[in-house]
Amino acid sequence: MANENLIEKIMNDPQPIPRKVPDYMRKSGGFMFWTGAMVSAVFLYEVVTGLILLFYYQPSNAYNSTEAFLNTVPFGSIILTTHLYGAYAMIVLVYIHLLRNLFVGAYKKPRQMQWLSGILLLLMTIGVGFFGYSMSGDVLSADATDVGRGISGAVPVIGQYLTSLFFGSGTQLSLFHRLLAWHIVLAALIGIFFLAHFFLAEYNTIMPSGKDSGDRAPAIDRDDGSYKPWYPYNLMYMMQIVLLTLGIVVIIPSILAVMPNVPALFSPFPQVAPNSPLAMNVPAYPPWFLLFIYKELDFQFAQGLGPFYATVIFAGLPLAYLVLLPYLDTKASLKLVDRPITVSLTIVGVVYLAILSAWGALEPGVPINNGIVALFYIVPLVVITGFVMFLTKMIKQGKITNPYIGGIVLSATFAGLSAFGIGAILVYSRMNFTPSVLAGLSILGLFLGISLLFAFALIFGIFPPKARKQEGNISKNTYVAYSSIMGILSIVILIEILSMPFGNIYNQSLYGVGLGVLLLIGGVMIRLYRGQYYGE
Amino acid sequence: MSEKDREETTPPDSSRRNFIKMMGVLAIGAASIGFLRGGIQNIIPSSAPVLTGFPSLKLVDTTGKPISTNSLVVNNPEIVTFDYPLVDEPNFLLRLGDSNNKDVEIKPVTVTIPLTGAKFQSPGGVGPYKSVVASSAICQHLGCVPPEIRYHTFTSSSFDGKIHCDCHGSTYDPFEGFKVVNGPTQRPLPNVIMSHEGSDPDTDSYYVKSLVGPVIYAHTSDLSGGNPLPSTTQTTVTVTKG
Repeated sequence: MANENLIEKIMNDPQPIPRKVPDYMRKSGGFMFWTGAMVSAVFLYEVVTGLILLFYYQPSNAYNSTEAFLNTVPFGSIILTTHLYGAYAMIVLVYIHLLRNLFVGAYKKPRQMQWLSGILLLLMTIGVGFFGYSMSGDVLSADATDVGRGISGAVPVIGQYLTSLFFGSGTQLSLFHRLLAWHIVLAALIGIFFLAHFFLAEYNTIMPSGKDSGDRAPAIDRDDGSYKPWYPYNLMYMMQIVLLTLGIVVIIPSILAVMPNVPALFSPFPQVAPNSPLAMNVPAYPPWFLLFIYKELDFQFAQGLGPFYATVIFAGLPLAYLVLLPYLDTKASLKLVDRPITVSLTIVGVVYLAILSAWGALEPGVPINNGIVALFYIVPLVVITGFVMFLTKMIKQGKITNPYIGGIVLSATFAGLSAFGIGAILVYSRMNFTPSVLAGLSILGLFLGISLLFAFALIFGIFPPKARKQEGNISKNTYVAYSSIMGILSIVILIEILSMPFGNIYNQSLYGVGLGVLLLIGGVMIRLYRGQYYGE
Repeated sequence: MSEKDREETTPPDSSRRNFIKMMGVLAIGAASIGFLRGGIQNIIPSSAPVLTGFPSLKLVDTTGKPISTNSLVVNNPEIVTFDYPLVDEPNFLLRLGDSNNKDVEIKPVTVTIPLTGAKFQSPGGVGPYKSVVASSAICQHLGCVPPEIRYHTFTSSSFDGKIHCDCHGSTYDPFEGFKVVNGPTQRPLPNVIMSHEGSDPDTDSYYVKSLVGPVIYAHTSDLSGGNPLPSTTQTTVTVTKG
């Protein structure tokens, strides 16, 4: 239609909003198309629990009111710990969302604005996490605000104004009042930018699979008439994703809350007050998601530059790269083998981030001389770029035909990182096996085992290509039995958690585990139902 | 006919499918009700006491050293307070003396609450000279706190030897169980019951045990409506300029 106006075009082209999505997005493995949905689910959870916390938080009395919420308010422990772990989950999921879109090339035409709003959302998510983390008023929050003050105060010319803008006039009351205000302001801004980001995603359509787009930008998803309606298919799928994500977010801190000797970095509870004599025993950590900046400030030449310029170089350069990426990498091909530089820089970035974070956790505040810094930056860059270049050349020449080569490289990278982490822990703990060292070793050992298993399974083709079981693999009666067991189980759990006294943190943790299991059961039941009746 | 309608009119096995749907709704409903219990019980503020009884707390200074008799100034013109029994509930700590700043023994007296006519027995002074007393520092008229309400020494121009609130003029007599001297307040200040340990005035220590008299201003009970103190063994005495 020639006289169609712009709004009509946006709303209806290539098909009406909300756009339908292709069926492969709901098939197994399709969850990588829904990482944004997972982030939004956790964000909504954070908003709800955050508003509940707002009823109780007293900036004039930050630490005591947090401790009182934890210990005396019914279900305070479960709300506070899941709010913290929801934030952690949101940050992890935002990174996963970012990496996924980097690898599939979703930053290319026509999604540049979507990409840039996503970068802004990443920054605001880390910012809101920083302010929220600092609000508890414990010794770690005091350390974190000190580092924040140091960085903002070192900004040339306006440093002093920035410091008082973010951290107040210097009294404790104005500090916590401002932390609260910034925490809420940033959360609201995330909400607004999320709506823009989401609308852009609808406008540009989902990023179609390589098969559909022919691996070429601009990749637009068009309904060929075969797409199933949004209701109930997408709604059910989204509910499944939301329930499974929230189930995990609720269960993890509930289990950690009753485990002994959880390291300060991952403890779901606030640490001791900064003026307590015990504060000496808590290492000065920022939140784990800022450990990489914290470690960079320890580099010899960074200390000469001061905290502001060091942050500009170490956090600003990767950021500038991400912002410029849509304008640097403008080639049409979305194939990984045609983008070896983007791919290797992405992997190098992840390796830097992981190693710097682990380094900051193991050697907080230990200065690093320039030689080691140079080695740390150059070795992964050269090794990974060289390896990726070599690999892409081999694939292009047809010497490597394994269709899972991407998965093999990814699992090998994870295996390498885990092995590095185990080595680092063994060296820095000096073989002194305290419970937290053992916990770290066993988690990394698990990662190493799983990623090695995956790599070998892919190399030797243990996952037979395209021979997945079709629907109906469970007989209908077995399925009825499954669902009644889970239905009865959920009633039992519900009675259990409704009749449970909430007197102490242990009971509340059981309540949290029960709630998480209920959410997971709901998610699994939707999965089975979709499999049985939608053939998905 | 849309795909959805087709499925609903010709279900493959409707009773089985409905049963399974019901089980799914049950599980998700259970999760929602579970969430509701926690959420609702959480946001309704508890009016139940946050403490089961009055804690017995040692008075310490900001460095953690116990407050001794000699560290207290007789008729101190500065404002000396400590939080008890909950945070943000300030109390005066006074070492009272005569106009020559000699310790005065404070005897237990019977205090009348003008509003209700009820009577209570004030605890009297403690310490080697029986001259140390304490009371809530929240005015019983409209809840003003120090420095608006404070003890006026014998060198002040007015209200000497009395606790006077600048907000509306309520005046209390610390030598007589903090009884009402002048309105508009209708209630005396709640008295803090204290005990004293040790005989050397340089190393002795003071404990606060409980409250007697009216309930702390704007509270339904002395043990509710706030957050517990960070320590269960001591409370910190702070000194501010009067």
